[in-house]
Amino acid sequence: MHPFQYQRAISGSQAVAAVAQNPEAAFIAGGTSQVDLLKEGVHQPNLLVDVAGLPLRQITDFEGGVRIGANATNTEAAYYPAIQARYPAVSEALLAGASVQIRNMATMAGNPLQRTRCPYFRDLDQPCNKRTPGSGCAAIGGYNHVHALFGASAACVATHPSDLAVALSALDARVQTTGPRGSRTIAFPDLHRLPGTTPHLDTVLEHGELITSIDLPAFAGRSHYLKVRERASYAYALASCAVALEMDGTKIKRARIALGGVAHKPWRTTSAEALLVGQRPTEKLFEAAATAAFADAKPLEHNAYKIPMGHNLLVRALLETSGLQPLQGPAGTAFAASVGGMAGQVATPN
Amino acid sequence: MQNPVPALQPGDTVPNGPLPDGSTLFEQRGRPVILAFASSEWNPAQAHQSEIFARLSEEFGSGAAFTESAPQAWHSLDYRGELATHLGVAGQRTLLLLDETGVLRWKTVVEPGQEIRPGQVLAALQALRPEPAEAPDLAAATGNEVITSGMSRRTFVLATLAAAALLALPSVVAAAPETISASITPTDDRSAMLPIELNINGKSHRLQLDPRTALLDALRENLHLTGTKKGCDHGQCGACTVHLDGHSALSCLTLAVMAQGKAITTIEGLAKGDTLHPVQAAFIKHDAFQCGYCTPGQIMSASALLADQHTRHSSAVEIREAMSGNLCRCAAYPNIIAAIQEAQRA
Repeated sequence: MHPFQYQRAISGSQAVAAVAQNPEAAFIAGGTSQVDLLKEGVHQPNLLVDVAGLPLRQITDFEGGVRIGANATNTEAAYYPAIQARYPAVSEALLAGASVQIRNMATMAGNPLQRTRCPYFRDLDQPCNKRTPGSGCAAIGGYNHVHALFGASAACVATHPSDLAVALSALDARVQTTGPRGSRTIAFPDLHRLPGTTPHLDTVLEHGELITSIDLPAFAGRSHYLKVRERASYAYALASCAVALEMDGTKIKRARIALGGVAHKPWRTTSAEALLVGQRPTEKLFEAAATAAFADAKPLEHNAYKIPMGHNLLVRALLETSGLQPLQGPAGTAFAASVGGMAGQVATPN
Repeated sequence: MQNPVPALQPGDTVPNGPLPDGSTLFEQRGRPVILAFASSEWNPAQAHQSEIFARLSEEFGSGAAFTESAPQAWHSLDYRGELATHLGVAGQRTLLLLDETGVLRWKTVVEPGQEIRPGQVLAALQALRPEPAEAPDLAAATGNEVITSGMSRRTFVLATLAAAALLALPSVVAAAPETISASITPTDDRSAMLPIELNINGKSHRLQLDPRTALLDALRENLHLTGTKKGCDHGQCGACTVHLDGHSALSCLTLAVMAQGKAITTIEGLAKGDTLHPVQAAFIKHDAFQCGYCTPGQIMSASALLADQHTRHSSAVEIREAMSGNLCRCAAYPNIIAAIQEAQRA
C-alpha cells in the first residue's frame, strides 16, 4: 500500500479545498471499495480526506420526493420507509447488492462511484487504460465475459458494477454536488461517462467535487430492479435492469429503462422507452421493446450470452413491473430483485 | 517446503552469493558487512516490521554515526529473494553481521513484536572493523579476566550488543486521557504515525498507527485481540466481521483511523462476563462449526442480525441471505442457520 496522509474533514468546503488543491488527493467515506483498491495498489492517493463525519447522513422528504444525504449508508437508504414503498427499485438494487456488512458501511454517494470490477483493472501486471492511461486494454483480447455490450471504445470495454446506479438512472435521480467552482445539480444519467479515449475518468465530477446528496424526484409510478448473477447472493450482476413505469389508465404514459452490467455506465435505452409510450402493456410489446433495447449491442468474444440474457431479463422486468407477472418476492427486497431466487428458494411473505 | 540450506551459525564462513548491486559476498571481504533481510512489500499486518529496517537504513544513509564504509557495508535484501534462500534465512526477518574475513559474527532473527536498536547495530559494525594488533596488556588494563580467557574483545562486544539489540515493540501506548482534535494535521512525512484512540468493547485504547493500518490489523497485531480473524483481507469472506456502533462491518476494509469515535465490539466483547451471548450459546449447542475459523465472524454477523429491527424476525431463507457475507469452507451452514433460529427464539 502506498503511503498517504490522512485528514478528517472539518466541513464540506474545507474538504473540497483540501482535495482540489492536491491532484493526488481523494475523498474517502465508506471505504469498502476504496480500501480494497488501496491494498491492491490500484489506488495510490497521497492524501485521503475523510468526509464520513460530515453531517450529510439525513434522509428527508424533499419536493415530493426524497433527498438522500451522501453519507447515508446503503442499509439506511434501503430500509427508509418512503424509499422502500415508493421507489422499490432503489431498495431492491441496494439489498440485492454486496453483503449486509458492506451495505452497513457503504455510503449512498460512494456506491455509484465504485470502480469497475474488470479483473484486469485490479491486476497491476496487466495493461489497463483505466488504471494506467496509455498502457492498453488487456480485456479486449482477453477473457471478456463480464464486459460491455454498449458504448465501449478501443481503449476500454469495462462495465460499471453498481446496482444502485442502474436504479437511480432509471428514476432520473439528481446528484447535488459542491466543488471548487461552486455547487451544481447533475442528472444521474449524465453522472457517468463512456470510456472514449479517457477511460480513467468514470464520471463528470471534477477533481475535488463532492456529492452532498442524491435526490429522488417525485414519482407516482411503479419501479423494479432485476438482477442475474453467477451466485444466488453476494455477487455482481452479469446483467441487470431497472424499470420505472407511469400509467395513464391502462396505457403506459412514461417508461424509463436502464440496463446494468452491459456498459461503462447505466445504459438508458431511449428507443425501447419510446416504443412503450401510449401502449397497453403486453408481453408482445415488451418483447419488441427488449429487441429494440439490444439492437445495437456489440458483443466481444466471450460476452454474447448477455444479449439473450439481458433481453429475457428486460422482458421479465417489464412484465413484473406492469403487474402482468407477479414479483418473485416482496417488493423492495432482495427477493424481488434476484433471478433464480435466493439460495435456491423463494421467500414467502411472512 | 524445507529450507534447502541449513541455517548459518555464528562462526561459520558465509558462502558466496550475489548481491542486488551486482557484486558478490566474497567481493565484500576486507570490511564488515551487514545483511538485513526483510519483506520488500509493506504489509499492513506487519507495518512496524518494515519500519525497523527503514529506520536502520536511514541511520546508515545519514552516515552520522558511522561514516567510513557504512553505506557500502549495508545491504537491504528481500527475505524472499535468492540470497535469503541461499543463506537459509528465507522468510525470516534477519540481520546478519559478517566480519572482514566473511565469517558470520552475529545473527539475529527479529520476531514480530520486536525491534532492532539501530545504535546497537552500528556499534557492532564498529567493533568488527579491522583492528590494530591487540596490545598484550589490554586484558590486564581492562581488568576483565573473562575476556582474556578465550573470548576476544570483538567477540565479547558483539555478544553484549546482540543481547541488548532487541527491544520489545511498544505498539500499545499507554497515556493519560487526552482529547484528539477533530482534525489531524498531516505532516510532511507521508504515513507518519498517528495518535489514534479506539473504543473497543467499552474500553478506550490509545495507539500510534500508520494511517494505512486496517482496523483488523490494529485489533490483531497491536491490541492482540485475535478473536477477529483475517480470512481474505479483501471484504469477501466475513471472517473479520465486528460491530461498529452496533452494526456489522468488515474490519479489513475499515481504516483504523476512521473507526475512531465509534463503539467497536469484537467477539471478545460479546459475552457478559461468564454468560455467553445467546448466539454463542446456540452455536455451541448446534455444533455450528467444524474448524471454527469463520465462527467469530459468523457470530458477529448473526448477533447484529438479531439486534436489528429490520432483520430480527427473518425467516430461514432471509437469514441465509443476510448471512451471505460470511463464508464457511467447512459448510456448517445448516447448523449455523439452526443456531441463529434458536437464538432468535431465545
